[in-house]
Amino acid sequence: MEQASGKIHIKAYRFDPANPDQAGFQSYTVPTAEPLSVMALMAEIHALDETFACRTSTCFKGQCGSCLVRVNGRDALGCVTMVQPGETVTLEPHSKYRVVRDLVVDFSQPQEG
Amino acid sequence: MGTVRLETEVLVVGGGAAGLRAALAAAEAGCRVLLLNKGPVARSGITLTAAGGMQAPLHPEDSCELFLADTLRCGYEIADKSLAWTLATEAAGEVREMERYGVKFVRDERGELALGRFPGQSQPRNIFVKGGGVGLAAALHAACKRQGNIRILDDFFVTGLLQAAPPDARTVAGVMGINLRSGEQTMIRARSVVLATGGCQQLWAVNDCPSDAVGDGLIHAYRAGAELVDMEMVLFYPSVIVWPPSLKGAFVHYEFLAEAILDGNVYDKDGQAVLPKPLPVRDQAMLLMHRAIEQGRSGEHGGLYWYVGDSAKGIDVVRKKLDLAQYNYLKAHGVDPATDKIEVAPGAHYLMGGISIDSNGETGIAGLFATPECAGNVDGANRLAGSGIAATQVFGARAGRAASRWASGNALLELDATSLAEETERIRCRLSSAGSATNRATAADLPLLRRRLQETVQLYAGVSRNQAGLDRLREEVGQVRLALQGKQVADRKSFNQALMDLLQLETLCEVAELVVGSALLREESRGHHYRSDFPQTRERWLCHTSVVRDGEKARFAAKPL
Repeated sequence: MEQASGKIHIKAYRFDPANPDQAGFQSYTVPTAEPLSVMALMAEIHALDETFACRTSTCFKGQCGSCLVRVNGRDALGCVTMVQPGETVTLEPHSKYRVVRDLVVDFSQPQEG
Repeated sequence: MGTVRLETEVLVVGGGAAGLRAALAAAEAGCRVLLLNKGPVARSGITLTAAGGMQAPLHPEDSCELFLADTLRCGYEIADKSLAWTLATEAAGEVREMERYGVKFVRDERGELALGRFPGQSQPRNIFVKGGGVGLAAALHAACKRQGNIRILDDFFVTGLLQAAPPDARTVAGVMGINLRSGEQTMIRARSVVLATGGCQQLWAVNDCPSDAVGDGLIHAYRAGAELVDMEMVLFYPSVIVWPPSLKGAFVHYEFLAEAILDGNVYDKDGQAVLPKPLPVRDQAMLLMHRAIEQGRSGEHGGLYWYVGDSAKGIDVVRKKLDLAQYNYLKAHGVDPATDKIEVAPGAHYLMGGISIDSNGETGIAGLFATPECAGNVDGANRLAGSGIAATQVFGARAGRAASRWASGNALLELDATSLAEETERIRCRLSSAGSATNRATAADLPLLRRRLQETVQLYAGVSRNQAGLDRLREEVGQVRLALQGKQVADRKSFNQALMDLLQLETLCEVAELVVGSALLREESRGHHYRSDFPQTRERWLCHTSVVRDGEKARFAAKPL
């Protein structure tokens, strides 16, 4: 169990509009001794798997909302949501916006309803 | 990848403060404007990271002449005087325009614009945008959306400029790019194009910019034959956070360490203060910090410690001053800026050089305009706090107006078939259909190569440079380029982030070569360009460096002021 504490486990939502039937969750493990923000975590996943899509731009202030995402079932700002080594986290697209691919959403297009 | 065609009168590339201002100016002059941004406008780009300070000579004892004199002196006399004078004379007018667009400024008890004084300013000259760079971008974005003549495309990645067919060769007639939502390669014809794409700070391992800052527009202009100036002049902000990992890239104000503000300091690992008081300007501060780091006085992660916890002002004053989004962000990461020692080092913050422009943003290439940060050199070898945002508005407006004048007097031109075919193929050859890949980039390739490039640039073209290091860097860049040769990524329609990674890394390599060549040419130290083998400022280098593409080679030269 000691080794597990140096890792963050992620269940990340995958969606490609070219294959909508294959949408679902994929598991990733990111090795880290330090806590990471969800934003940093998404960039780490993209570095492990280049097909995983996420937004990487940030204002470094928790203001711009580039990183809006759903963490463990709650909409959140990814850049100020911290995950500790040893934790497991579920990442989904923010619920308010239309999904472009994986965790990337179209901010100009709020979801219907 | 199918090719889609669009047309517009004025095309703006980049949706930060400068691009949005250019779009507004062109639309108000009566043109149809299309603005392309590789991310979502107001949720990406360098503008958002700005703290919100803007220089304008509004103090009763201040003047345009003093603003100019401060800019020239603190830029070590190599700013383009006509650009610096335009900035000094038009910044105040742009403040009123910004308010007209809905930008809000911090005001004092009497309702006047609150003026602060930062190092190098002979009078208090900094006003502050409410909500910082995010507030600025949001207000200008909203103003663009109210303007009926402006269409904005988010998630549109421009890959290159397109030339006009003969007899108008060397005229820009449009751009090629990828609609990231649909994956479609898209050709856009335009009467004039404004580049407002920002700097290339991602080239350095320590920087305080978002992932977008790779210098796309610099390379578009360079490939199209435009002249770039002073590419060695990159501003290193003294106090960029290097630890913990989740905060890398954020910065803390070294300006707040001033006696009049929080009276803190930057300390070495043994608790020795590194900065003198009164606080020196940015280039001097970052060099003092660099020397301390070189002497082995740095902490565990290679940085020094920014600390205001023992301020004589008292904890309440400190907490009040730091009650800003930028500092609350640190708290969310478990760091209390009022009491903790924060490990910082000098990092790339702003590109002072860039595409050579006149005061109307003209680049010397017909139909092509540019505005800072990707254009320069307004500031010289160092930039005063608050000139960055001011320049986006003054020169964004001017470039937008000039582009609209050009669009009114010139028709849409036919595209040059060769230019079009080359640009189409340059992207298509990077895409492999499943199974056919011969040199497919694997997941680890691109991040590793990018990291290698960034770390080598930081080491050899960072705060301290010399000939041997720059030569070594040139070889390293060549090797990264070689490793990228023929690399392909999978052809995905929707949001092909791997393709962006590959193309942006290629751009970074090209920018690196221009930075290296310019830094090698300037055999002196001036402002943020420090050569350990030429530590003195030399009279003969009271000039710009310039680089122009000559076939496949870059031609570097000194250029008189």
